[in-house]
Amino acid sequence: MSGGNGFEPRIVAFVCNWCTYLGADLAGTSRLEYPPNVRILRLPCTGRIDTNLLVKALEGGADAVLVSGCHPGDCHYNAGNYHARRRWMLFRELLDALGFDMRRLHFTWISAAEGRKFQQTITEITEQTRALGPYRPYEAAAAQASIPSNLDRACPAPAPQTEHELRDVARRLLAAGEVKVVIGYGARGPVFITKPEDADQLVWNEGCHANLTTYLKRKEVRALGKPAIVVKGCDERALVVLEKESQIRREDLRVIGVACDGMGQEKCVACDVHQPRFADDLVGRQAEAQNQPQTARYAGLEALLAKTPDERLAFWSAEFDRCLKCYACRQVCPLCYCERCIADKNRPQAIDASPHRKGNFAWHIARAMHLAGRCVGCDECTRACPAGIDLRLLNLTLARAAETQFAYRAGMDRMADPPIGAYSLQDKEDFIG
Amino acid sequence: MSAQISREDLRKLVADWLAAGKKVFGPVRVKPGLELYAPLASAGDLLLDGWVRPANSIKELVFPRHEALYGYRISKNRVELVDLAAEIPEQIAIGAHPCDAAALTALDKVFNWDSRDEFYNRRRAATTVITLACAAHDDQCFCTSVGLGPAAERGSDAILFPTAGGYELQAVSKRGQTLFPELAGEDASPTGAGASACQPFPAKFDPARVAAFAKEHFEDPFWAGHALACVGCGACAYTCPACHCFDMVDEGNGREGVRARNWDACQFNMFTLHASGHNPRANQGARQRQRIYHKFVMYPEKFGQILCTGCGNCARNCPAGLGVLPVAMEIGNG
Repeated sequence: MSGGNGFEPRIVAFVCNWCTYLGADLAGTSRLEYPPNVRILRLPCTGRIDTNLLVKALEGGADAVLVSGCHPGDCHYNAGNYHARRRWMLFRELLDALGFDMRRLHFTWISAAEGRKFQQTITEITEQTRALGPYRPYEAAAAQASIPSNLDRACPAPAPQTEHELRDVARRLLAAGEVKVVIGYGARGPVFITKPEDADQLVWNEGCHANLTTYLKRKEVRALGKPAIVVKGCDERALVVLEKESQIRREDLRVIGVACDGMGQEKCVACDVHQPRFADDLVGRQAEAQNQPQTARYAGLEALLAKTPDERLAFWSAEFDRCLKCYACRQVCPLCYCERCIADKNRPQAIDASPHRKGNFAWHIARAMHLAGRCVGCDECTRACPAGIDLRLLNLTLARAAETQFAYRAGMDRMADPPIGAYSLQDKEDFIG
Repeated sequence: MSAQISREDLRKLVADWLAAGKKVFGPVRVKPGLELYAPLASAGDLLLDGWVRPANSIKELVFPRHEALYGYRISKNRVELVDLAAEIPEQIAIGAHPCDAAALTALDKVFNWDSRDEFYNRRRAATTVITLACAAHDDQCFCTSVGLGPAAERGSDAILFPTAGGYELQAVSKRGQTLFPELAGEDASPTGAGASACQPFPAKFDPARVAAFAKEHFEDPFWAGHALACVGCGACAYTCPACHCFDMVDEGNGREGVRARNWDACQFNMFTLHASGHNPRANQGARQRQRIYHKFVMYPEKFGQILCTGCGNCARNCPAGLGVLPVAMEIGNG
């Protein structure tokens, strides 16, 4: 079984208990020979295979990974394979943008009756991987490529009148007892106004970057009572997702929308939600024509994807090498609301806690995947990062995948089904063997 | 004990250090709008002109964010420890701010007060710090409020004062003196206040008032109110030159692995979470109070100096506009 150079690839196969595992069993009982390079992990259903596990296999020295489940229509749990298929579609886009070698990642459907297909699949993958050689993605990192960011946008200065209107609304809501607290922007950062006479602390200027909806998850803020929250059109998208995910009840919340001409950030260049759409109170008027983005929505991504996979991997290695694991990206994210993050769990430890390259890749892959089809593109993670990691590019990757493959943009339509958690029988599977 | 050195000569010297295999660490522009202290690939990367405040600190030289301490191998009934101690190359921080250098003396104390931390000390012993006296300051700077200043010597081995054609070089320690041929034969001793290019600016608050408030108002709604905007990340602590909390982790599989220490931060809700589920600092107010209390009360009572050098990185890096300065000003002037 030894190759010319003595290299024996290690293949890790994550297989479904009800189909592929039995297919492998059949191959054995039928005396079909296949290379012994595969390590089979039997799991209840491909629908429950966390993509972190695939990353962990590659981290641990796998030269290729196979995930194999039941053919469409055959799932023991009706739809687990359809859910898996959707996750893989997004996961592949993410790994590709990171610069992983996509020839190392295989997906197949193999039924319990297909012992021969199992034999052929393992043989093919083993031979292909043998030809490719060992895979140590994190050790590669050749010359560092840089991704230019020249999307600075000069935004018109907010009208002073808007600030007065905003204060009036806040004062009125607090005086009438309709809300207990107004979450808004102050001179230095977010402020939490509880008395009508303090409403003048609210500001509306070019520094109102933050997406305040992240405070809705914080128990210290929840304890203050019913809030009114100041949102821009982009921030409001997070409310749509939070409501969809049953994290907030719209009737427990008063939304003060402020028309925004942009805050001079990268995201503002392609903004098409200058005007909040679902607010209870709307203040300000937009100076510019609405929905006229100055550039394509995923403009920043083109420069990244134009690079070779090795260049992309080098770029991300350099970016992630600066990561301190301060988790500012997670903490400012309105949609990272888990009581206990997977990164903080250590039994089992899916993600290395250490801020070394392996641990940082694992963390940023998990963060991006957990926001796949959910991220509303507020870019707070990127703004908050003290190490200047361009997390925006990862979010854009998945946002574009969700839009092109599922015609879905998170937080735009209150009725639309999110891509993860739903499925379609027509989902693309040209990448599944 | 002082000498003149031109910009060109200084860069040449840095290039020589790099060529000699020394690890040189200084302010570099990583990308537009992002300056960090980082290992220099070449002397040309070093940012010395103007006033540049890197978003991180030089503590990584002596206290890396991740450090593998030792390895282990498990076989049948025994555990074998594997020494990972690699040779630490001589490392030089150049262009450090006085506030970064001063923080090293605070770290020295905490890593040596009961037991001597061999991992910290071996890096510290290999480190020389050349400070660039500040030519300017920004809104977040407050070194003069915590007993330091734009040309403070504490923690430095040598100081560069910008002059018209280059720098006036002053040695503070023997170690600093030996790095520069210009200083050969001179006496190395602290010089007292040097001629800073930046006039010391007025203090923004009184640290004694902050300490008194924190002690007298331990249970006070001030902390909870103040902490509402805090998102609970570690950006302040991780970019602070003086914060030094760490966590220990074992990484590996059932047969072998390493024990490592990683930075940790008091603003995380899990920092003090007990296995029982009880959390003595159960809300963000208590965690914000801890950060101020440690810096202005606990550490000074134990070690006689404030655990804050006024660099302002906490406020610059805070996504919510918090940090030591805003809180201290609210207390100190309120």
